[in-house]
Amino acid sequence: MPLRVEVFSAPGCSKCGHAKTVLRRLADDIGGGCIHWREVDILEEMDYAVELGVLSTPAIAIDGKLAFTGLPSEKKLRAVLLKHLDGRP
Amino acid sequence: MPEAASAYRISDVSRLLGISTDTLRYYEKIGLLPAVQRSTGGVRIYRDRDLSRLRFIRRAQAMNFSLAEIGELLQMREDPQHARDEVRELTRRKLAEVERQLGELDTLRRELQLLVNLCRGTSDGCPIIEGIDTPERE
Repeated sequence: MPLRVEVFSAPGCSKCGHAKTVLRRLADDIGGGCIHWREVDILEEMDYAVELGVLSTPAIAIDGKLAFTGLPSEKKLRAVLLKHLDGRP
Repeated sequence: MPEAASAYRISDVSRLLGISTDTLRYYEKIGLLPAVQRSTGGVRIYRDRDLSRLRFIRRAQAMNFSLAEIGELLQMREDPQHARDEVRELTRRKLAEVERQLGELDTLRRELQLLVNLCRGTSDGCPIIEGIDTPERE
């Protein structure tokens, strides 16, 4: 089962665009269908965002848990994603 | 030496709690507030205990509890050890109601916090206003 990564963004959020670009590149790098990622527009899914504890954008959740508020470095994001993937059966 | 209990006139209480003097007299008349102590001249003298009770009434009213319910809850507040079973049950139900509303309020608080943060985080105005004004998609 692929790692479920969600990027919470808002229209007009310039940092969010960057977050999405970085994550897409990482997903491509790690590849192999290991990462299923989706963009969450918080205006569309505010209930879900609030339930996870998102209080600003961009934010990144991994497997339904808030992992980053703000944009992590690409290195850090890669490390966290690989750690999650390593822990999988 | 113990500190003397504070004493307040009805106008002081009205100002402190934002409750009109008519309402204060009404609460006393219907028994929500026990007969307020009077000075020798017949002037009402409210004590801290009365103010505490009035604050409770005000909070309960803000939660849309009826005056009858508030009266029962005040019985529980005055003498919890000897409260009737129905009053205990009412208190439990009201506690559940307050907790449900707290949950709703907490969600609303986080939604508003999120909106504030979003607006602060963008350079070209607040995209949220447009988002809110957009009708929900089917």
